[in-house]
Amino acid sequence: MRLGFVRLVTRGSVDLKTRGRLLQHLVGTDLKRTHADTVVGQLWWLIDPFFSMAIYSILVTVVFQKSMPDAPLFLFAAILPWQWFSTSLMDATTSVTGRGNLIRQIQFPKLVLPAATTVAGSITFCFGLLSLALLYLLYPSHLSPWLLMIPIIAAVQFVFTLALAILFSALNTFYRDVQNLLRHATRIWFYMSPAIYSVSDLSGSGFRYVLGLNPFTYILTSYRNVAYYKSAPDWVALAIVLVLSLFLLAFSIWVFKRLETGFAKIL
Amino acid sequence: MPTPAYAVDVQDLGIRYNLNLTRRTTLKGSLAEWVGRKQQVGRHFWALRHVDFQIGRGESLGILGSNGAGKSTLLLALAGILAPDEGSVTLSGRVSSLLTLGAGFEMEISGRENIFLIGGFMGIRHRAMQGLTPSIIEFADIGAFIDAPVRTYSTGMRARLGFAIATAIAPDILLLDEVLGTGDEEFRGRSRQRIREMVARAKAIVLVTHDLTTVTEFCNRALLMEFGQVVYAGTPQDTVGFYKERIQERKRRLAEAGHESEAALPPPVALHQPAS
Repeated sequence: MRLGFVRLVTRGSVDLKTRGRLLQHLVGTDLKRTHADTVVGQLWWLIDPFFSMAIYSILVTVVFQKSMPDAPLFLFAAILPWQWFSTSLMDATTSVTGRGNLIRQIQFPKLVLPAATTVAGSITFCFGLLSLALLYLLYPSHLSPWLLMIPIIAAVQFVFTLALAILFSALNTFYRDVQNLLRHATRIWFYMSPAIYSVSDLSGSGFRYVLGLNPFTYILTSYRNVAYYKSAPDWVALAIVLVLSLFLLAFSIWVFKRLETGFAKIL
Repeated sequence: MPTPAYAVDVQDLGIRYNLNLTRRTTLKGSLAEWVGRKQQVGRHFWALRHVDFQIGRGESLGILGSNGAGKSTLLLALAGILAPDEGSVTLSGRVSSLLTLGAGFEMEISGRENIFLIGGFMGIRHRAMQGLTPSIIEFADIGAFIDAPVRTYSTGMRARLGFAIATAIAPDILLLDEVLGTGDEEFRGRSRQRIREMVARAKAIVLVTHDLTTVTEFCNRALLMEFGQVVYAGTPQDTVGFYKERIQERKRRLAEAGHESEAALPPPVALHQPAS
């Protein structure tokens, strides 16, 4: 029985709505699993982003000799959300394949698996925001009320991340190449997004047209506007990214639901 | 709506595996096939075909067969984990399908948290799970370990907790794969007792096992499967008898044919009459 696009997407949304409690349990499990058996445990959520920020600060200011006032904050404002995106996406991609045992035990809506991983990643991101807050002790001049817009930018990013997470978790079940390809793709994507530079650095280059097609150009620029430049996010661009992400999400749920019945045969 | 006559109604069930799409499929392989149009039509394998049977309430069905006969695939289809490619599976009532006890546990979290997680996967309300938890813990009999991570459990403890969860949710249909032999003598006694109670309470049970005495002891009906088909259905005693004959015949043919295994196998008997 093949259901139409709308029916399948609705079904997928119902799967997620009715299994709220399961999502909650899964998110808790995911969070406990990361950093279990480490000495400082959950503190790694704060330490991890600091390390990458330190590395990129040295790279940009010492190696590339780029003059950038308050470089650590400039970098941190973009690297933190990027890491949320890339780790969530990588973890979610293997969220279905990693639970083959369970999928061959109980019949349940598999959509909860990538969704839970993405939500767990968001909680890690919230802890990362605590380290951003700490950074303002060093750079208090960048504080502004615009910082309160971070949840809105994060919401747009969440929808985009969830859409890709659902899509890739389904594809990875059939082609394990997806997880390998994705590792490289996200790395290239990172350098093609304004994370360790800003869009204005490339104003003379043709590369700026490539940046224009990248949703993360608008997402990262918005974060940096509120966290570093004390200005408004790029509302129009964010709205467009949100609408396109919602379409992508519907498409991803449709693909996932179409492939879902085959998961148990392959795993 | 009248209650359906059967707890389980399987009609002309077929489950097909696509041999082009296994877990070892790579993008490269698929692309090569697609570009070169090498994809062979019909590279399919029917793990089950033309399977028909019904189970009434209070019946306990044993499924026999050698490795690869399709027993586990049949259980997966009954649990709704595999969708039928042909025919239909109709169940009335709640199914509990912890097929291999404890294999779905999450290692890093405690037994208690696993109870709620598995309950969530089974679609049981949190409130109901809270009510069931004390009896699950009591039946599993793992003491203070219930709050320790499952990775610290012994195999027996995992199996006991799995069995306790699978049966505690009061399923109308219980599917079990090779599990009544787990645990020590004491636990085996208790799990058998619980199965008997469920049969008495008019629940349907499907049991896959290699242990022929389990079938004669627990089941009131049995099927023998070969090559994805049901080749014999009858009382447990008759089916076990037939199964033993088949094994003898296979051994005899193997001996005659020297060890050319495939040719030596007895041809599948087709007792199935296709539904018109």
